[in-house]
Amino acid sequence: MKWALFLLLMFIIIFFSVSACAQIGGDLGDESKLYAESKQVNQFFRRFNGEEDEKGNRYYPTDKEYRNVKLRKKYLGILFDESNTGITRPLKKEFAENVLDKPELSILDFHGGNWFAEVNTTFQVNGTDRLITLYMELEKNHLGYKWVIQKAHADWLDAYYLRDTTKVGRFLHPMSHELDFMNLRKAFAHSDSISQFTVKDFKPDHLSVLMYEAKKGNLKFKSVGSVRFHFFQIKGWYFELYDFNRSGYNTGWLISNLVKLKDDSEKEIIKRYLYHATN
Amino acid sequence: MIKIKFLSALLVSLCTLGSLSAQTDNISPARKQAIDSLALEKVRDLSKYISIIGNKKTQYSEANRVMDRAEELFAPESEMGVSALTKKEVTYYRVRKYFEHLMALNYDKVNIKWYNIHYISDLERQPDGRYVGVVTIYQRFEGESEGGLKYKDTTKKDITIYVERKKTQMQGRTVEFWDVLLGDIRVTETSE
Repeated sequence: MKWALFLLLMFIIIFFSVSACAQIGGDLGDESKLYAESKQVNQFFRRFNGEEDEKGNRYYPTDKEYRNVKLRKKYLGILFDESNTGITRPLKKEFAENVLDKPELSILDFHGGNWFAEVNTTFQVNGTDRLITLYMELEKNHLGYKWVIQKAHADWLDAYYLRDTTKVGRFLHPMSHELDFMNLRKAFAHSDSISQFTVKDFKPDHLSVLMYEAKKGNLKFKSVGSVRFHFFQIKGWYFELYDFNRSGYNTGWLISNLVKLKDDSEKEIIKRYLYHATN
Repeated sequence: MIKIKFLSALLVSLCTLGSLSAQTDNISPARKQAIDSLALEKVRDLSKYISIIGNKKTQYSEANRVMDRAEELFAPESEMGVSALTKKEVTYYRVRKYFEHLMALNYDKVNIKWYNIHYISDLERQPDGRYVGVVTIYQRFEGESEGGLKYKDTTKKDITIYVERKKTQMQGRTVEFWDVLLGDIRVTETSE
């Protein structure tokens, strides 16, 4: 079976090379690698769904080949990062079989939700470069859609909310109310221990802090580092999409991580991990 | 040139006029293909202008004139976000600055070629009703200094296109047409 998959992959690569060379072959030489590359996230969607030919021409619902199962099977073989041995062949095979078993239910939908972007950025905070991860999703708005920031995470902010719950530490005694909480003055006198006065399940919202700092002019955008996408649209599966800028045929936007989910609780665990949720 | 562009835009409108009144939100496949052609025409214009601006034989005054023409292809405030294999961090330039930077490159000979391949995304509607898409093209750059030192790179250019339905008066009649403007461009050096 491994050989069959390998031969299929080789066939796809040769097919791309031959068809691309035959029709272009300009003075810049072999462009087949550029054809094989999933050049845009949009192309990943179309290939996954079987909505375009090997030259990138769109198929429409009236076309015979539109979402054709054979076409989708062909594309599924080239949409994984081949250098990632963590995505085993049996796992890829199971995923492909799952997708093709109910092809109409395994269509990636741009507007369908259940996918989001993780954007690693650099900001200048009071003159120092700081990394901030922004989690973006598509939101319907007026006549169309827009990308919006749904969450943010910055490792360097965590230090401000750390507290040791194993120690008694500082606290407001239980009769503080009788004194109109006058001891709050002492609580806020030491900035290092302020976090000890919050409820134990307090979850800091990094996005609010960053918005505030940006409004105050303390946070200035510098650059985008890397972008990856997380998909939960295929029932029972999670996969990550990443842009591989390297030589060869296995390039562009490819599945860089694939996890089979037993149930919704596993889905939530992965989401919490992706969001750097601590509790 | 402007007249030709207006006529091609008009052609797009005429080609797709049949479906204009029937639908307002979605772009039919026929109209999408017509818009794709118009977008590609603008991208080809840009490619041509970049080659002229980068060419060391181009006179300064001519390069400035071409930069003006090239700028007209873009929506206001469009930027180029450039990264290299050795420098992943994106540097942002206003389009005009990028052209000026290209013109001032310290090579004696510059050769800019474009791969035949291009990829056109779907068009998505944004909140203000305009449509937006991305056209991807690839450029080969070769610079040679007097001492024979050569620099080569291949860059992928992901070009934003804004598509908008506009109206104009022609012989007392209101004619609708689709116009395409270029927007931000992400320039990535590739490993090819």
